[in-house]
Formats: sequence, structure tokens, C-alpha cells
Amino acid sequence: MAESTVAPVDEGRDPRRRAKPRRTAGARSGRKTAALGRRAVALSHFYGGKVETVPKVPVRSLRDFALWYTPGVAEVSRAIQADPDRSFDLTGRWNTIAIVTDGSRVLGLGDIGPRAALPVMEGKALLFKWLGGVDAVPLPIHAPTPDAFLSTVEAIAPAFGGINLEDIASPKCFGILEELQRRLPIPVWHDDQLGTAASTIAGLLNALELTHRSMREIRTVLLGAGAANLVTARLLLALGHDPHRLSVVDQRGVLDAERDDVDELMLRNPWKYRVALQTDGGGRSGDLAHAVEGADVLLAASTPDPNTIRPEHVRAMAKDPIVFALANPVPEIWPEVATAAGAAIVATGRSDFPNQVNNSLIFPAVFRGVLDARARSIPDEIVLAAARELAAHARDRGLSASHLLPTMEEVEVFPHVAAAVGEASVRLGIARRALSRDEFLERARALMQRSERLVRALARARLTPPMPSAKSLEDRSAP
Amino acid sequence: MTATNDAAPGGPSDTPTVPIHLRPARAADIPALVPLLLRLKRLNEEFDPLLKVRDDAEHQANEVLRAQLSDPKAVILAAEGVGPDKDKVVGFVRALVRERPFYTPEWEGVIVDIYLLPLYRRRGVGEYLLRETSAALKAKGAGVVTAEFPAQNEIAIRFYAKRGFRPIQLLHARSL
Repeated sequence: MAESTVAPVDEGRDPRRRAKPRRTAGARSGRKTAALGRRAVALSHFYGGKVETVPKVPVRSLRDFALWYTPGVAEVSRAIQADPDRSFDLTGRWNTIAIVTDGSRVLGLGDIGPRAALPVMEGKALLFKWLGGVDAVPLPIHAPTPDAFLSTVEAIAPAFGGINLEDIASPKCFGILEELQRRLPIPVWHDDQLGTAASTIAGLLNALELTHRSMREIRTVLLGAGAANLVTARLLLALGHDPHRLSVVDQRGVLDAERDDVDELMLRNPWKYRVALQTDGGGRSGDLAHAVEGADVLLAASTPDPNTIRPEHVRAMAKDPIVFALANPVPEIWPEVATAAGAAIVATGRSDFPNQVNNSLIFPAVFRGVLDARARSIPDEIVLAAARELAAHARDRGLSASHLLPTMEEVEVFPHVAAAVGEASVRLGIARRALSRDEFLERARALMQRSERLVRALARARLTPPMPSAKSLEDRSAP
Repeated sequence: MTATNDAAPGGPSDTPTVPIHLRPARAADIPALVPLLLRLKRLNEEFDPLLKVRDDAEHQANEVLRAQLSDPKAVILAAEGVGPDKDKVVGFVRALVRERPFYTPEWEGVIVDIYLLPLYRRRGVGEYLLRETSAALKAKGAGVVTAEFPAQNEIAIRFYAKRGFRPIQLLHARSL
């Protein structure tokens, strides 16, 4: 099994409750995670962060600055002043995005604030560059209110071809994304909503194919009503899922239109309220056990506790049920427990089990695609185009119960998803630049490969020092 | 300010194509009305700690409804669903006619409660309820219709503003 890239943190709060075969694995992965954490701190210190600005033009002598800077640059500014869209040709804007967070819900760490969120944003920037060839600027901001957040992002938008929102608490993330998408003439993406939902949908499309089901007929239970699942619900409905066969379940049970807290939701979480009205509990009420009866699909994005979904929940589902247990670091049910209870297809959020639903398969490619199309926005059709392409890529490689989605090693998936996104942007009329699908594909491949060559070249030239061993780290300091 | 002048331009509720049937409430409706009334009060609680719902609110709701159903100065209407929801009370209005000893018009119809289950909202039902209530209040002599709701309830503010209501008195509060 591949070593985990997304570093599962097993807190092992109560080992007695965990299924027996996992007890040792859990403890081992806990120790491994602690060791990874210590090494990450030491390496962060050694390298002094993970990304830097690198010039992309030759500088032969200071005289060249008459071109790159004043006086020559004034003419470049004038050209953009005359036609703002030329900022995409004459500056790095075409390939630059901001990774913006207020640090209010970082990983599993909670509200740790913008400064502490910076290493995570740097890591994301590195992923963007490595996987998508995208220049991403880590930008945690101090924004105590949603309005402060909105006006700050609006103020910085002129420098960027896109905005990636990251690690913002639900439900305020919904309003922030909606409002920024409305205000800004560039794509705005929130990975916890769109990336997770897109990869979930991709996995589900293939799971339906494998079990000969159609979207219009299935009964689905969404366990958890946070950022990801509320968007998944919206996308399912857009794909023709019958709202009356869709049950959303949270800690208080099935979310129906007459639940006691529904008026409170109307005020505090209108997105969840909308789903409550659209689905009205999918014809069910009560707890998870009532919801899963006869259900074809259970998509869980809820609590990292392997006892959240019980084997009897799986047994109560329809024949050959599909179970996605996506909580990280610990799934809502261990895959082997779900399989033993009759699940035909199981997916998790972890790389050490088959079928990882992983938004890293989506976001670098989506931004590659919208940046290459110089898209003005990023509607749900784009999200679905990415999901469909991801699913198609896995189908082309041979679909099976243990190969539902491409893995991170199948690197060709990235340019293909990017091309699908670029093509969809043109089709939807939101592209500033219309390329053909093949052109998008070639461009994406070239830019993604360039990142890899760049990183390797810097290493060869010793400009990036080689990765120090754990031992040598103890007696060395940053260069 | 009379509310019977609502022109409702383009309003979908001019003919009651709304999915409800509105009728005066009866004593037999009380068990169905109490939970709706409590939902409304709990919603109000969201807006201000001084609107915290009492522990005995359910008992109070029963008492108040029982008393006002036989009070000629009260208007209590029950909204029933149609089709499969026929005979189900999906909303209600409670309004009281009060005397204004110093102002004219001298009788005021105050809408104190108006509640619809979520699935019946945003379909012109509220508009229809408001119009029917206004007519009932006018029939009881009211020359002005007013509405009481929490100051922070933006949804209510917009609902009434759109229908020609404006704030005429404010109720400011502070704990003692």
C-alpha cells in the first residue's frame, strides 16, 4: 500500500472502541505522524519556508532594469491602463493566484489564525506549482468579519488570475465564496466546498457505473452537512438526482423542512436551510438508521470516528451499497468493516486505502484550466466538467471496486482535467481566450512539466540544498 | 396606513393559487397551532436574549389561544395545506384589535404572530395571509394595521416594507 501523502493523524482517543484489526495500525500510524511532524518542523526551519519568488526574465546587468523596471515599464502600464485585460498578457497575472485564508478552520486544527495557517498555505502553494504549474501566493489575512474578508480579497484581486480560498469555517465560507464569485471578474474557488465535492462526485459517477445504477433512480444519504456535503447535494441535484430520494443527515438526524432548528438555519445557515427545503429529508425523518434503510449510496463527510457508521447501517442499505467514508484522518467506518457488512464499493479520504477521494486530483488541474482559458468565473458546470473528466480517466484505465478514481501517481490525469476545464470555460462563454481542447492539453502538460524541471534544475544547481537527513538536521541551521 | 390598499402588482397571490386554504381557527385547532406558535417564539429568541422563551411557554400558548379564540377583538386564522396536506395546519396568523385613545385612526389591528412552515414560504402565501388578515381586522373596525416583530428580524422588515409598512413606533428595551 502506498505511503500516505496526506499524513493521517490518528489521535487514538479511545482505542477500546476501535475495531480490533486496526488497533495496532492506528498506533503505528500515530507514531509515524508524530515523527513526520517533528521532521516537518526541522525542515521548515532548515529551508526557511517552502516557496520563494524566482525571476522569469534574464538579467544580464543592471541596465536591463530599464526594460523590466523604469523607464521602460511605464509603457507596459499604459498599455494595461488602456485595456485592463492586457494584464493577462503583459504580467504574470495569467498564471498567478492567491491562496487566501483567515485561518478560521485549518486542517483539523480549528481556528488557529492567519499566522499559524501560513505553513499550510505555503504547502498548498507548492502543490499548486508542482502539480498544476500555477504560481500561487500564500496569503493568510487578518479578517475578523466576513465583510473585512470580502473587501480585502476584492482589494487584492487586480494582481491575480484567480483566488483559491482555503480553510475558512463553515457556514461563513458559503457566503464568502458566493459573494466573491459575484464581485470578482476572475475564478474564485473554495477547495473545502468545490474540490471535495467534485472528487466525491467523480468517485460516485464511477461507483454508479460499476454497480449499474443511474443517478435518477438512486436513494442517497449524505452524512454531515458541512462545506463539502452541502455542495455535493447541490451538484447531485444538478446531475438529476431526485431531491425526494436525497436525505441529508447531521448530528441532529435527518434534515427535513420541519425539523425544530429549521428556522434557526434560515437565519444562520441559509445554504443548509435551502437543502432542507429542497430535499425535505428525502422522505425520511429521524436518525441515520432511518435514513440508510434501502439507500443505494452513503456519502459521509462528518466526524473522524470509525464508529460513526455502524455495520448495521451498511447492512440496512440496498443490495451492493456504495459507502464513501471521507472524514480525515479517521474514516467514519473502517473500509474492511464496511466491506464485511456488505458494501460493494468503499472509498475514503486516505491514501493508504484503495479509492482515495482526494481533492489534490482536482484543484491544481482546475486552476490550470481556468487560468489557461483566462476564465472570468467558475460556475458549477466547470466543477462538474472536472469531476466527469476525473471519472472518465479512471474508466479508461479500467474501473474496478478498488480502482474507482485515478491515484496521484497517474499524473496524466492533471492535464486532461485541465483541458476539460478549459474547454468547458470556452463552451460556457466565460473564457477570455478560446483554445481548442488539444491546445489546452498541450499547454497544461508543458506548464506542469516545467515545474518539475524547474525544481529538479534548482536541486541540480544546489540552489535548493539537498534534503538533509534527520540526524544532520540536529546540528545544522538554515543557510 | 391601511393595508387593504395593497395593489400587489404582479403578485402571484391575487387569486389564491397559493397552496393553502385559509379559515378562522377553532378550538379544535389548538393542538396544531401551539407547536407553530412556539416555533415562531423560538425563532424570535434567535434575535434577542430579551426574547428568551419561557419554560412554560407551551402551557401559555394553550391558554392564550383558548382565551383569544373566543375574544371578539382577536383574529386567529389557520392555514391548511391542500392536496396531500389537506387538513394539516401549516401556518397561522394571530392579530388583535387595540384601541388607540389618543391617535386616529382610533382602532389598530396588530399582527402579533404570523408563521408558515418553511415549505409554504416564498410562494405568495405570506402576502395572501397579510391581505386576508388585514381584511378581517378592517371588518372589526381597525383603521390601521401594524405588525410586531423583533427589531433584528431583517426578513420581516423586508417583508413588511415591500408591502407598504413603515416603522411608526420603536420599542427599546434594557434589562433590569
